[in-house]
Amino acid sequence: MSESTVRYSQRGGARAMKGFLRQFLSYGGAQVGLVCLVFFLVVAPIPNILVGPLQTAINATGDFLAPPSGEHLLGTDEVGRDVLNLVVHGARISLTIALLATVISLIVGTTVGITAGYYGGRVDVWLMRLTDFFFVMPSFVLALVITPVVLEVMGRGGEILGFRPSPFVILVVIGLTSWAFVARIVRSQTLSLKERTFIDRARVAGSSNFSIMVRHILPNLVPQIAANGALVVAGAIYVETSLSFLGLGDPLQPSWGTLLSLAQRAGAASAGAWWYLGAPGVCVLTVSLSFVLIGNALDDTFNPRRRVIP
Amino acid sequence: MPDTADILRLESLQVHFPIQGGLFDHVLGRPAGAVRAVDGIDLNIGRGEIVALVGESGSGKTTVGRVITKLAQPTGGRMLFEGRDMTSVQGSSALRPYRHRVQMIFQDAYQALNPRHTVFDVVAEPLRSLRLVGNASQLTERVSEALASAGLNPPGDFFARFPHELSGGQRQRVVIAGALAVRPGLIVADEPVSMLDVSIRAQILQVLVALRDKHNMALLFITHDLPLAWLIADKIAVLYLGKLVEIGSADDITFNPRHPYTVALRNATPQVGANAGRAELRGLQGEVPSAARVPKGCRFHPRCPLAFDRCKQEEPPAIEVGPQHMSACWLAA
Ligand SMILES: Nc1ncnc2c1ncn2[C@@H]1O[C@H](COP(=O)(O)OP(=O)(O)OP(=O)(O)O)[C@@H](O)[C@H]1O
Ligand code: SF4
Ligand SMILES: [Mg+2]
Repeated sequence: MSESTVRYSQRGGARAMKGFLRQFLSYGGAQVGLVCLVFFLVVAPIPNILVGPLQTAINATGDFLAPPSGEHLLGTDEVGRDVLNLVVHGARISLTIALLATVISLIVGTTVGITAGYYGGRVDVWLMRLTDFFFVMPSFVLALVITPVVLEVMGRGGEILGFRPSPFVILVVIGLTSWAFVARIVRSQTLSLKERTFIDRARVAGSSNFSIMVRHILPNLVPQIAANGALVVAGAIYVETSLSFLGLGDPLQPSWGTLLSLAQRAGAASAGAWWYLGAPGVCVLTVSLSFVLIGNALDDTFNPRRRVIP
Repeated sequence: MPDTADILRLESLQVHFPIQGGLFDHVLGRPAGAVRAVDGIDLNIGRGEIVALVGESGSGKTTVGRVITKLAQPTGGRMLFEGRDMTSVQGSSALRPYRHRVQMIFQDAYQALNPRHTVFDVVAEPLRSLRLVGNASQLTERVSEALASAGLNPPGDFFARFPHELSGGQRQRVVIAGALAVRPGLIVADEPVSMLDVSIRAQILQVLVALRDKHNMALLFITHDLPLAWLIADKIAVLYLGKLVEIGSADDITFNPRHPYTVALRNATPQVGANAGRAELRGLQGEVPSAARVPKGCRFHPRCPLAFDRCKQEEPPAIEVGPQHMSACWLAA
């Protein structure tokens, strides 16, 4: 491509981007969601700088189940660890698992959905059967099935991509159970896109099926994928929390769900230690709500017609 | 005439779409039947010839165009391109040489353009996927040349535009540029001006005629508008319910029509605007029958003012009524 082409298309792209952002940011939900999200995304990568290394029963600094004070802003847990320290470290684990699982499910879901919708026929039938299987598969059951396999492969002390076995299982389980949702949406969009005349034109222009899927259909799916991707993250955070709460978490890499589970087992509720349950609980709620708000705002931005109907 | 004198030959071409039968039909073992969109047509297009395919809505014009451009598969008959049988060739790589020679222009240019592709992408797409250019500067050159031939000047100003940043006429010019970029031998144009303002139509038609004059491209011009067909075409083929009822030179069909349907078409006053194809034909009773229930005998007999007994029983063959002039009507026998 010539120099002028490149320059021109950047200008066109920048203009489209600006219009999109103006529209997106005009939604109150999007603003609230973005502010919360940016806060957590800034905090999550640097827990050691903010609150020091992750505390354990050995290097715990406080009393047992002490309420919030100047020294421990969010109180302490049943072995004297600082809850703020735990929650900030938990942010990193929770967000990493949720975002990575979402990436897995978007890639798998989009690939399956486009292929099924575009080829139709028998390919569609079989891929959709597979999708429905994973759609109804309860994540907890899948986790129970996968855990022994992963433990066998990596051993109890091993790590994959920096994850210990339990968080890794949770990551895989969420990825495997949430792609079906994406695949269904992508498939139904593909079904209507492939009937459009520009697909016929692409075929007459000699484009292969692969290039039609990648260059013509995929770019038109970006809005749906982005909007639903945000909802998938929200779902992933919930599932991560519940799986950890049910005891699948790893105390050495505690997520918010793991903290809730520990608090529950320590009898935080009956002991009146609201800070111990409340801190991770509020974090889970805030982050998933942010993603839902952002997802809905994205959806409204991309589908202007939906805005008219309340 | 030797095979290679014509760029394209359709022989008894047939496209039947199966009708999905209801549950009842299935249980009772009733055959579900078919929509006979194209029901056995013979048509030749010469090199550099402009042929108009004329017919009412639902007569099967688009389906013929889609078969020729390999977007639909015929259920019967043959299609020969430059003497080679293309009827059953399928798959994007096997079709590459054919795509290089046969291109298409669509009725609704807005629908025919991917909203997320720039004008440059659109025109470059066939050049890239058919591997017709070696490097980027060659590509830019070919794209510019095509845009200029389609009347978009200066071409560089349009490279980065998206479809929604163009006028209707400009969009159709982009589609035309994409089709002519590969320098094809035949372009199928499916109602290319029916969605455009009357003021722009003449310019677009000029672009199409210039292609033939300069590059000897053949053109299959699909339209429901007989006067327009006369204006642009050398030869006119009149389609009724999936069958060609009359073929002849543009002048013969317009001034000396021999088939009662062509006569009715000529007498119809086309309305200006997109609905013209659905205009009532003066002197014709009734609606166009559905292609799923083609009348027995001459398929035009329920609406023909001149129908007689034989028409209800036997289907008339194509009968030569003059030099290069055929009519499928018992009255011509
Ligand atoms: N994919 C399909 N499946 C079933 N029937 C079809 C299909 N495509 C076309 N038909 C039917 O075939 C007949 C001819 O359709 P076609 O689109 O070729 O007509 P046309 O002459 O182009 O009409 P128009 O002027 O409205 O564009 C119609 O009865 C139509 O309903
Ligand atoms: S064959 Fe008969 S019904 Fe058919 S067009 Fe001729 S006169 Fe009319
Ligand atoms: Mg049509």
